[in-house]
Amino acid sequence: MAIMPTEIDPAGAMPRAILNAADLRTARVLEIGAADGRLTFQYTAHTGPVVGIDTKEPDIRAAAQHAARKPDGNVRFLCASATALPFSAEQFEAVLFASSL
Amino acid sequence: MVHALREATRVLTKSGILINVRPLTAPLEVAVVTAAETVWAKTIQLFSAPEDVAAAETAAREAVSRGWFVLQTSHPFAFEIHCDTVDELRTYVEARKLRGDGIPYDALQKHQRERSNGEAARLRCRRPWMLSTYSKT
Repeated sequence: MAIMPTEIDPAGAMPRAILNAADLRTARVLEIGAADGRLTFQYTAHTGPVVGIDTKEPDIRAAAQHAARKPDGNVRFLCASATALPFSAEQFEAVLFASSL
Repeated sequence: MVHALREATRVLTKSGILINVRPLTAPLEVAVVTAAETVWAKTIQLFSAPEDVAAAETAAREAVSRGWFVLQTSHPFAFEIHCDTVDELRTYVEARKLRGDGIPYDALQKHQRERSNGEAARLRCRRPWMLSTYSKT
């Protein structure tokens, strides 16, 4: 039997639920607790520009490196806290907490 | 958590939406599965830390009661992970700091081995989650 790595949400249930919940096609999205971007990269093709933040710097660095290899440039990652967001008011049409509240 | 929600309402546009995705305090199911069928399954009383879930729910309720958001919709969905070995499953579960009954790793391994005569039998862990949307007021 071929060994496959652990697959988290192989059916894509979470990004599907998110995209079904709201029309995000042109929305600027802030994802709080984005970690390494595992979820982020599963929905960004169907939204406006996305910013993912997390306080875990190694995870955010990995996510940013992955994002740099993506051709569409639709997503960026920042090391930041949810309680002191480094953005001015009314910058996003959607804010996502994925198991991070 | 309430501070995070207050920040969220600050950066959202007037018609903005908040999406909250979280695991439910509900049993999870572990199973041995092939591409064609579920070979063996067991429901386990194993949950995310109840105090974390309660704190998140309290924060969301407070954000609503303060008039920052209005609850729009809530939809449950099944969140799964698939592994090849019990060690992979153990690593995943332990990292989530779940609480409650133990996962029957020996039984999972036994049923997986019995089924794996040339046929790929994997381990599946299924947890119920909830997605809620809130509109900014």
